[in-house]
Amino acid sequence: MYNSLTRIQNVFGFFTTVAFVVAALIAASDFAVPRTPSATIKTTNVQVVKGRPHYYSTKKEEYAIIKFSLDADLSSLFTWNTKQLFVYVTAEWPASAANQTNKAVIWDSIITSPSADHLSNLGPASLKKLRKSAAGKSIDPSRGKLSLKNQKPKYQITHPTGKIASTDDVKLHVNYNVQPWVGVLTWSQGFDLGLWKKFAGGVSKAFELPALKTKDGEKTKNPR
Amino acid sequence: MADQLLEQVRDAVDGQIDFEGQKLAEILATAVLAIVGAISFLVGFFLQDIALALKIGLGGTALTFLLVVPPWPLYNKHPVKWLPVGGQPAITSAQQNIVIDEKLFTK
Repeated sequence: MYNSLTRIQNVFGFFTTVAFVVAALIAASDFAVPRTPSATIKTTNVQVVKGRPHYYSTKKEEYAIIKFSLDADLSSLFTWNTKQLFVYVTAEWPASAANQTNKAVIWDSIITSPSADHLSNLGPASLKKLRKSAAGKSIDPSRGKLSLKNQKPKYQITHPTGKIASTDDVKLHVNYNVQPWVGVLTWSQGFDLGLWKKFAGGVSKAFELPALKTKDGEKTKNPR
Repeated sequence: MADQLLEQVRDAVDGQIDFEGQKLAEILATAVLAIVGAISFLVGFFLQDIALALKIGLGGTALTFLLVVPPWPLYNKHPVKWLPVGGQPAITSAQQNIVIDEKLFTK
């Protein structure tokens, strides 16, 4: 510590240690807050159409378009350490092989905490609106309350074989991924972990994907 | 002339402080950083605001650098007492020894 350079080095070294310890404490503090997520989801309209993966493709595949209504309360997932919440809806159905499931995402959304609004992928006008909605609060649990009616899916799904019509025992699952500022990534869980309760609901009733419409003057559509 | 200027610059950048000052600087740096860390976590936790915790932490660290790195006069209150030049008999006899040896060689 006899000259300025060694003092800079020593202070910086201890600063990194302190920063690491504080970050570890912040990440650990998440476990002291209870999580009680819940959701109900149901399908409103299911169609299967023929289409192409992209404009110039010669392959013809079948795509399922699953519209749904979702009511979720994920507000307890927002703590001071939450940066973003990633919510996604998957369609799952059993595969022919044992213990395997087919899974495809039909819709997803990033919900930022006010502390991370500046990182969201929005233009200046929408960003201003988003910031205003938080009304200066550092965390806004109301952003975790979702209420979607007859929501159009973001993605039309298919099976690697290209055939997805007439599949039964399909269920929609709601999942989430909490992305913290510091700490581990955590996903929706099917079990209780201390104060973190398992996801209540979040699975729809089983439904089936209908058969393709027969070609009685019906035009094939490219689902875009 | 340029040498003297360079010497002054070197002294300023070096920022030497005496040993008591070094002890004080180390204790101060450790204590301030630890307290800043604790404050930033507690304030952030009770106000549930992580951006604020970060700002307090970084601000406190900058303060610590300012407090400890420049050679403030506070750290030079106990300068090292060097012994006077050529005053002690032990040293002169050693010098005389060296002179005698030289005489032997220059014979």
